[in-house]
Amino acid sequence: MGLVESGKLPKPLTSLLNTSRKYSIWIFQWGLACCAIEMGAALGSPRYDVMRLGVIPLPASPRQADLVCFSGTVTDKMVPAIRRLYDQMPDPKYVISMGSCANCGGPYWDSYSVTKGVDQVVPVDVYVPGCPPRPEALLEGIVLLQQRIGKEDMVERWKGEPLVVS
Amino acid sequence: MTAVSDRQKLAYVNSQAADGRVNLEFETQEGMTLNMGPQHPATHGTLRIIVKLDGESVIAAEPVMGYMHRGYEKLTEVRTYPQVTTLVNRIDWLGSFANEVPFILAAEKLMEVEAPPRAQWIRTILFELSRIANISLFVGDMALHIGAMTAAFYAFRDREFVLNQIEAVTGGRFHPNFDRIGGLKDDLPKGWIADTKAAMEKIRDFCDEMDDLVTGNEIFQARTRGVGVIPADVAQQFGLSGANLRSSGVDWDLRRDQPVGLAWDQADWKVWTHPDGDSFARFWVRIQEVRESTKIVDQLLDGLPAGPIMAKVPRIIKVPEGEAWVATENPLGEMGYYVVSKGDLGPFRVKIRTASFNNVSVVPWVCRGVYVPDVVTILASLYFILGDIDR
Amino acid sequence: MSHLSSADVDETTEAEAPATDEAREEIVAIFTEELGDALLGSHIRPGDDVWLRVSRDAWRTAGIVLRDRAGCRAFEFLSAIDWLPSPFGKSEDSPTDERPEPDTEIVTGYAGGDTRFQVFARALSYHRKLGVTLKVDLPDDDLSIETWLPVFAGVNWHERETHEMFGIDFVGHGHLAPIYLPGEFEGHPLRKDFPLLARIVKPWPGIVDVEPMPEAEGGADDEEASE
Repeated sequence: MGLVESGKLPKPLTSLLNTSRKYSIWIFQWGLACCAIEMGAALGSPRYDVMRLGVIPLPASPRQADLVCFSGTVTDKMVPAIRRLYDQMPDPKYVISMGSCANCGGPYWDSYSVTKGVDQVVPVDVYVPGCPPRPEALLEGIVLLQQRIGKEDMVERWKGEPLVVS
Repeated sequence: MTAVSDRQKLAYVNSQAADGRVNLEFETQEGMTLNMGPQHPATHGTLRIIVKLDGESVIAAEPVMGYMHRGYEKLTEVRTYPQVTTLVNRIDWLGSFANEVPFILAAEKLMEVEAPPRAQWIRTILFELSRIANISLFVGDMALHIGAMTAAFYAFRDREFVLNQIEAVTGGRFHPNFDRIGGLKDDLPKGWIADTKAAMEKIRDFCDEMDDLVTGNEIFQARTRGVGVIPADVAQQFGLSGANLRSSGVDWDLRRDQPVGLAWDQADWKVWTHPDGDSFARFWVRIQEVRESTKIVDQLLDGLPAGPIMAKVPRIIKVPEGEAWVATENPLGEMGYYVVSKGDLGPFRVKIRTASFNNVSVVPWVCRGVYVPDVVTILASLYFILGDIDR
Repeated sequence: MSHLSSADVDETTEAEAPATDEAREEIVAIFTEELGDALLGSHIRPGDDVWLRVSRDAWRTAGIVLRDRAGCRAFEFLSAIDWLPSPFGKSEDSPTDERPEPDTEIVTGYAGGDTRFQVFARALSYHRKLGVTLKVDLPDDDLSIETWLPVFAGVNWHERETHEMFGIDFVGHGHLAPIYLPGEFEGHPLRKDFPLLARIVKPWPGIVDVEPMPEAEGGADDEEASE
């Protein structure tokens, strides 16, 4: 992709690349707590069927994933592992924070062992609220992320600077 | 890589340091050390197991917990009684309603309040529904661990029927927060009884389907029969409970043997045991339990008494001084709350005795000498929920 | 509901238990016979539960009596209680009011107690169909007690947890590594004087929603929660 590196990517090509990227997301499921079951229902159950959105669940390793979904309570003991797996994912990578606990600590806002939000550790693209969110809510979060990917500027992304997408 | 904040940098440094410690363990131990987790491939949450190997057989296995420790026992001390039910819902997140019941019963015991019969019956029904929702996922999950993925899809599909019924009453698929001191929040909605009976029919079909798909499967039996045998004596020493205990041949079910006021004695059902104590026995006993639960629900729906669903309790709940212990037979095993009250709005101390904590404490004992794939089988068959271990 | 009592064996059962509970009285009799003076207190709630308090030296003996003589072979849990009233006030205290002077008087629960920390454990008997709660006091200057590992193998993780949460030492355990918290964690969270920092930084705002309290006991009866 010499075009991307040189910063001379024509607009139709950007749009084509983004479209193909957004409908082939490999989602790495990081089930931490209660939300993991709802995520499992969204990813693995025939009723919600995430594959119709062009999202492929259950990759074997974070190295194959484009999107990681943190669902559940993040504890201080878990944080090093979360950071490590996030670093192993290839760029461009996206993060969905699912559920109140991953968003802000949720019902455990005053606990001594819970991290108050996964965004203290990794940058988050989409927050899905709820305790736990219904599988439909997670699907909507994924759709929002796809819209966001569709608007992305590949050249800006390649520069490695923080992205601001409206 | 995108820019990182200071907190993120710190996390990165910590992760590197954790790496270093693990490597040190690798170098200093005899044999080979295998780290499983903390990212569990299934949906249990996060349990890490450090296994020392000699070739393919396990010399020692040591579970490392705490990745889901949320400090329930401390948090209950700074919350009021109605707020505590919101928290304890989330201990065993697959059978949430069953978590509320023993706590509410303990508070009721201290207040000397008793819920009206209709509330007790509905509690029992919802309790059994959450057991079905919990264990039906186990059935699929156990097969998934052995390598049969299809069963998990079926489990997720048929579990929805039960979740729909729970949602229709409580408004929540997962965490109903429906139980109140002195009764229930609301009565059953119209038409619910017929719907639930239809759902129970589907669950019985699901059990038959699973028997066809999994239980009789030759590979499944070869992987589970004789793997991870826990004798009855060891099971008692470690405080195992629930299906793990019954599959070791101990005929003990709190629903039958220590009635706590709920309506289990009003239905005709059977406590299943299995003499083998191996992984297959644990799977088999649980499938039978789901069948019995559907029977209990059906019978209780037939005989549901009329009447109020809430006893007379003060608007602001103050629990008198005292100590109370209430345990019930939850989907995972015996769950009990030791509540110490000092007459305040909130409890003084709550000791939460969860089933999985005791159930998993047997892992170092039972995993000694087995092969690596059997570790997965044993863990799946012991059936734990991380929130239930770590609290 | 009876008030908390620290009376000795006979007074407790006579004064507070009009109904009798032979199965649980038999348990108390077994412990009296086996331990003698080391049984410091007991409490029976008829038809429900029994609490026994033993001296620290007799803790392991009491465990063996519990397992072998009383037949409680199924271990349930072991933990501890910190009886110090919380120095940070109660959860229902308003964050805007001035914090009241912390209460320091230690009031212990059933079967009595003399010290701040109390270890308690519970085991279940399948054939008697009842459970027994054992308690033991720990002096503040020496928070240590014999391990129960020779009694119940399953006590291993429970003692590790209690060690981590309360800082109580179990002599002879040998592997009291942290079980829940990361290695760098300082303090013992379940002690009452361990602060929840998030609550101190940002007090619980829910207090504004709470209705005024009804008058002690009198107002309680005419208020109904259900419709």
